[in-house]
Amino acid sequence: MSESAVEHVFDEFALAYRRGERPDVREYLERVPEGPEREALADLIDRFLVAVPAREPSEEEIVLLEARLEREPALLVLRRRRRLRREAVVDALVRALGLDPRKRDKVAGYYHQLETGLLDPEPVDRSVWEALAEVLRANVRALAARVPPPPAALAYRRAEQGFVLQARLGERPPSPAAEAGGLDEVDRLFTGAS
Amino acid sequence: MTVSGMHDARDAEDSRLLEAGEKRRLMESYYGLVVDRCRLRLRDDAVALDVAHEVVVRLLDELDRGRRYGVPFRVVVHKVIEWKIAEHLASRRSEAALDEWLERASLDSGEPPEAIDGFEALLEGLTELERTVVRLRYEEDLDFGTIARRLGKEANAVHQIHFRALSKLRRRAA
Repeated sequence: MSESAVEHVFDEFALAYRRGERPDVREYLERVPEGPEREALADLIDRFLVAVPAREPSEEEIVLLEARLEREPALLVLRRRRRLRREAVVDALVRALGLDPRKRDKVAGYYHQLETGLLDPEPVDRSVWEALAEVLRANVRALAARVPPPPAALAYRRAEQGFVLQARLGERPPSPAAEAGGLDEVDRLFTGAS
Repeated sequence: MTVSGMHDARDAEDSRLLEAGEKRRLMESYYGLVVDRCRLRLRDDAVALDVAHEVVVRLLDELDRGRRYGVPFRVVVHKVIEWKIAEHLASRRSEAALDEWLERASLDSGEPPEAIDGFEALLEGLTELERTVVRLRYEEDLDFGTIARRLGKEANAVHQIHFRALSKLRRRAA
């Protein structure tokens, strides 16, 4: 790659930043080879960020900040910002995924685990993320992956009906699949199990 | 609006939020910048977000102390970002020196530390023509053809001047 590649990529970043487009620094860094060129680009962008006014944060970033400060799962914070009850999200999921309404309780169980950071988001099907993105109007996949669960071994968690003491001793609660006694489409969507 | 004018507007809004005690709102407004700078220096995203969180917690702690500064709040933000990143890279805690800098930056000390680089400082070392081209490019978002017409030059020549200026900035930033 020619020496000017760093300058070209920087120019694109700087223009996008000044236009308020929130360019992702990671994507721009990946456009030049690892090593001295990437470091040079990082240095150049960093100096630029110091010199110009800070960009507006995205809503996902604000949710992420609030989640970290309050030590709460980002999905929960996001749903509260949307003033949606968990039941409403579950109903929307069942509809959007075209699931049998009789499976609603199972979906609710998985969504509860996902929202509280107790379900690994990695194997969750793309269609679930797309449905959640639609109802919560945000990049929920990125939010769910970025925020670790609260570190406390014992955490008081606000439930819809009041405060409950949730023991978090490193064990995950039984999956809705185990409770229902068999794997089905809902299990596949939330755990990748077939 | 020029970059300098935008800084002035932003500084005024920061002062308003500080006076109103809207600390969380103030921090939210800087969070994107904090995350960007941490990601530039600490390529592991989880680590970058952890350090960004440390920056926010430190700044909120500063705000809780109620200290006011002789420099714009953005100067304090950048200082804490740089400090926390350096601290992480050096794998050691060095809050004392940061505390000393923040104390000097406070209005009570009467001795503000060095002002942070602004856009003009970024352009230091460039010729007047190079500065003008870079300003028109990033302040007014102009393409090379438009800049060339303004300056009475060929677009290709402006393109070369611009990239020569960026190469100088790159060498200085390294």
